[in-house]
Amino acid sequence: MPTDVLDRELVHSGHVGCPGCGATIAMRFVLKALGEKTIMVLPACCWSVIAGPYPQSALKIPVLHAAFETGGATATGVRAALDMKGDTETTVLTWAGDGGTFDIGFQSLSGAVERDENFIYVCYDNEAYMNTGVQRSSSTPYGAWTTTTTGKDWKKLRKKNIVEALVAHRIPYAATASIAFPEDLLRKAQKAKNMKGSRFLHIYASCPTGWRIPSEMSIKIARMAVQTNIFPLYEVEEGLRYTINYRPKEYLVREYFRLQGRFKHLTEKDLDQIQQMVNEDWELLLRKAGEHV
Amino acid sequence: MIMNKYVNPDNLYIARSYLTTESNKTGSWRFLRPCYDEKTAPCSIACPAGEDIPRIEMMATQGLFKEAWEKILIENPFPSVCGRVCFHPCEGSCNRRDFDSAVAIHSLERFIADTAIRYGISPELEKKPSRKQRIAIVGAGTAGLAAAWFLSLLGYSCDVFEASSEVGGVLRWGIPLYRLPLSALRHDIKQITELGVAIFTGKKVSKEMLSELKKKYDAVFIGCGHSLGMPLSVPGENLSGVSEGLEFLRQIRDGKSPVCSGVTAIIGGGNTAVDVARSVVRLGGKALLLYRRRRQDMPALALEVEMALEEGVELEELVAPAVISEENGKILLTLQEMKVEGEECGRDRVIAATGKNRQVRVERILKAIGMQASESWQQADRTDNEILTLSHSVLDSRGREAVMVLGGDIVNKTKSVVDAVASGKQAALALDILFQEGIEAVVPKLQACLVGPGSSLSMEIFMGGERRLRNKHVVSYEEINTDYFRFSPRVTQPRLLKEERIQSFEEIDLKISAHMAMKEAERCFNCGLCNQCDNCFIFCPDTSVILGRDHQGRHINYDYCKGCGLCVVECPRNAMSLGEEKS
Amino acid sequence: MKRVLEGSHAVAEAVRLAKVQVISAYPITPQTHIVEILSQYCTNGTMKAKFLRVESEHSCMAALIGAQSVGVRTFTATSGQGLALMHELLHWAAGARLPIVMAEVNRALAPGWNIWVDQTDSLAQRDTGWIQMYCEDGQEVLDSTIQAFLLAETVNLPVMIVLDAFYLSHTYEPVDVPEPEEVDRFLPPFAPKFQLDTAQPCAFGSLVGPGDYMDMRYQIALAMDDALIRFGDVEDAFAALFNRRYGPVEAIDCADAEIIFITSGTVTSTCRLALQELRAQGEKAGILKIKLFRPFPVDRIRKELQAAKKIAVIDRNFSFGASGIFAQELRAALCNTPRHPVVFGYVAGIGGRDVTPELLKEIYWLTKNSEVPQKESIWMGIQEVKYAD
Ligand SMILES: Cc1ncc(C[n+]2csc(CCOP(=O)(O)OP(=O)(O)O)c2C)c(N)n1
Ligand code: SF4
Ligand SMILES: [Mg+2]
Repeated sequence: MPTDVLDRELVHSGHVGCPGCGATIAMRFVLKALGEKTIMVLPACCWSVIAGPYPQSALKIPVLHAAFETGGATATGVRAALDMKGDTETTVLTWAGDGGTFDIGFQSLSGAVERDENFIYVCYDNEAYMNTGVQRSSSTPYGAWTTTTTGKDWKKLRKKNIVEALVAHRIPYAATASIAFPEDLLRKAQKAKNMKGSRFLHIYASCPTGWRIPSEMSIKIARMAVQTNIFPLYEVEEGLRYTINYRPKEYLVREYFRLQGRFKHLTEKDLDQIQQMVNEDWELLLRKAGEHV
Repeated sequence: MIMNKYVNPDNLYIARSYLTTESNKTGSWRFLRPCYDEKTAPCSIACPAGEDIPRIEMMATQGLFKEAWEKILIENPFPSVCGRVCFHPCEGSCNRRDFDSAVAIHSLERFIADTAIRYGISPELEKKPSRKQRIAIVGAGTAGLAAAWFLSLLGYSCDVFEASSEVGGVLRWGIPLYRLPLSALRHDIKQITELGVAIFTGKKVSKEMLSELKKKYDAVFIGCGHSLGMPLSVPGENLSGVSEGLEFLRQIRDGKSPVCSGVTAIIGGGNTAVDVARSVVRLGGKALLLYRRRRQDMPALALEVEMALEEGVELEELVAPAVISEENGKILLTLQEMKVEGEECGRDRVIAATGKNRQVRVERILKAIGMQASESWQQADRTDNEILTLSHSVLDSRGREAVMVLGGDIVNKTKSVVDAVASGKQAALALDILFQEGIEAVVPKLQACLVGPGSSLSMEIFMGGERRLRNKHVVSYEEINTDYFRFSPRVTQPRLLKEERIQSFEEIDLKISAHMAMKEAERCFNCGLCNQCDNCFIFCPDTSVILGRDHQGRHINYDYCKGCGLCVVECPRNAMSLGEEKS
Repeated sequence: MKRVLEGSHAVAEAVRLAKVQVISAYPITPQTHIVEILSQYCTNGTMKAKFLRVESEHSCMAALIGAQSVGVRTFTATSGQGLALMHELLHWAAGARLPIVMAEVNRALAPGWNIWVDQTDSLAQRDTGWIQMYCEDGQEVLDSTIQAFLLAETVNLPVMIVLDAFYLSHTYEPVDVPEPEEVDRFLPPFAPKFQLDTAQPCAFGSLVGPGDYMDMRYQIALAMDDALIRFGDVEDAFAALFNRRYGPVEAIDCADAEIIFITSGTVTSTCRLALQELRAQGEKAGILKIKLFRPFPVDRIRKELQAAKKIAVIDRNFSFGASGIFAQELRAALCNTPRHPVVFGYVAGIGGRDVTPELLKEIYWLTKNSEVPQKESIWMGIQEVKYAD
């Protein structure tokens, strides 16, 4: 990675992200890769707050705050207008949370991707609606406590597989990435930048506040998510060509769950079941990548 | 702080943000405070010379071989030698052992020194301004030369007096060439002489001459080692077929080829015994190594023993000489068989197995059971409590004459090259303190220059180098963030084949390539040392790690740091700490 | 050049002449004729614009918010359900002070799918901060659409051109279509007061605390007030070039009228016929056509109505639990004047029912023969079914 990319800093200090917030780390990485000539569309999410209250902005690029569900569409308009002005150089980036991507903004995203709008959509995934105080989303994983899945009603449904949903659109580029793997993340963001059409990055971004973990653990946990196959690192080109970027050492998911307050109610039996789900998903991915097990 | 100077905010009153967030001093949220806090590596406290190993390996990783060499030289003037013959206790305490296997620290040391030889580089070392005191050094062995080296760096002029025709002591006369080629030794010694140390060879210091020296010099360092063999204390020990192993080695190193036909019995289990045995093999004889304990108890390096056996040396364990006699021009050696029973001083005790005797017929016997001082003045008087007895040296500043310092094998508990270096260093530092601040200051000041909680002295700390700031806390394996390291096999040392080995005294260990060396150096965790990996900068959610040109290369901006602790946890090598925020 | 055009096509021609750069639309009857033509114009090069074929009206407005924020001229058209779906973003567009122009074809809201005219959809958006103009015929639609861009860009507020489903959107009339050069003289290229620009990075729409939010909203209120004045300026400029003017309201025979109809949209044309007949019978009747609904031209209305005894407000819309929306607005506009006519509210033509001259005359007689209104709004032509039986 060229040092000017690494050293480039487009996020100001003084923002109000929680200590140890993974979403802010993700933002720093992505903007390093994309550079100043980027316009950001920012639907409602934690980052709407982190980005700074009027008249402050935590970002050194132009930002258009947007309605929660409009990430894909607003970017469509920004891109169209830039094209009309003859500016094909500026990258249009939508930066949305999992709620704004998997749930309320899914239609808008799907529409934009179907049209192959020329932009990058980043979903930083903290697995719940954090801005509004940790409510479940369709990205919340099986087993998690949230403020709307409490007590014995912890979430008993699987997390939506957003990348596969986008792959079904035959999107030119879709990739997962993690804040714990900066090189991989920066590479993918740069790769996306140098492509045309719709590009999607699904970035795992731990949330100390919502996950009930100590702030200093947010990278460690993000790394474990990859190491345990809970969040595999892979990329898909043209909706067809899968590349798995990281070969986990087959750590047990148990270790990952044990570290987080949001999973503390889970029994050994639950964890066994989750391990099975994770294995199943991983095998499915291997099959898609043409690597039969 | 205004981000966009073009905007006139009064133009249209809308939610258009044009200032940065930098006026929010989020540092006020912090209740834990991260800081850069370099710590002590376990290898560097295990090294009697206190070498800053993580630093040396970091430089080697970056290809900064000259700087790495200088970093070694500041603590040890014998990298070329120690890279070959040191028993490298450093590797025994390497944290990497708990991960895969220890870093090949000694191979790297040798590589770094050899690279300096290859390119004919001269080290640039900090030297203190000249001092008026002059020091005489008796014996140009490792300890004496090391003392001269460190004293010279501290600004003292030194004259070294050596009895034999060449300097180096045991290194020159007692270690076979296949372990330590002459060029390697000479290269290290060249650095010492180039520092301005005067060496007078062929000058045996007698008791009388010592009195002279005491008048002419401000201090006399005695590092003449042990040259008298220990007695076996068995009948027949003085027969002509019985001689000293070290003397045998000396003859070989003097260019002679002592006769080795038939079987030669070698008594002992240390490195000298093994050296003798292997030399016998190289001279065409059969070597029978007799040791009173078991193979695993041998003080000789395990690898040396292994190679000796490969080369055809025979080892008999649990036997002790009982009687030596002559029979038809041959030697009849009666051996007492020993057995393991109980423990003493933390190791298994061996005692004679009564009634079990054997006899072997050999051509000659070479003793290698240790040495002692040849003259009484070379021994330390440890009874007088006005004499300062330190771990690796003894200082006697009674009377008005020169300060007397004993060092090297005559005082060291462990008689190794690196302990001799430690002795020379300790003596040099002690003398400097004594001259500058008086005898009372010696112990406390030396104490302050120890590496971590160990007993090795650091010249770098003494000279006020930046690494004096490292925390005394020793980094444990648990404190390494092993997520950042990958399993990687330790470098395999290329060697001559055993068939090639026994043909000559050619050096056995071959060179490793720069690529191999850098790869090996990269295996080092750099425990407790910042190697500029930038994880703290990369992972800071608050853009509060600022890259800059200060010594650390970066600093924390406490105006904004929220104290999340990520940088500390993600530091792979525990070069940071998180403490409570005061006030 | 005079051409015979559908109301929908009049809109499209105006958009072409305004040199809009980004158009976004989602199909809904009866808006489709507008956007079909525009889509073709973008494809065949008649217009140098991007046509965004988005997947919903919601995304349509979001896309325009994005495009307009970059500083280009934008347009969309919708109707009924589509407008309702856009609601959140209508507030957004106005709050962000984006001069987006939209043609809105009044259509009744479901359930009970109904594609015919009903003003409730657009009037339900009256609080969103959009300027609203209700048009009567094809020429007015074309002229108002061109003017809308100038007005919107002057005050930095979005404009909604409202036209009745079918009666206007699908009705052919002769329309004078100006030449592009003439329109260029009236409408200069869009010069944004702010825009997303990587050379001058700002964040738009950031979090705003109570300290600034209310003041910013007050600015929108001021801009709306300003729009009333600017509307006149725009009309003056337009009239100077094209010799046509509509006014925020049009008063027909109001000077001596004792009973004045209050109308909007195509009902006005029908009412003009009824008025002729009533006047022929010697009735002192008049019409006040309300074109500009937001900002509501309160002063003009008060002035035009000051001599009347009664007004009969025709509402093709209804606010359940209250009354016809124009009637509400008129009551509110008049109540603080010392002497004002009695307000009679009539609901007529809901969901596309015909409003005939006869119905309007019936309303006139009802008004004339009553001292005071029996109800806030009287629903005309209702088959009386007992409620909740
Ligand atoms: C239409 C709409 N519904 C609800 C909200 C409230 N809201 C704002 S942010 C948010 C949650 C965002 O969740 P996510 O996208 O996962 O981002 P996060 O806050 O977790 O970073 C919600 C529910 C809104 N702004 N708009
Ligand atoms: S709630 Fe979670 S995602 Fe939101 S700012 Fe805090 S740590 Fe970041
Ligand atoms: Mg979320």
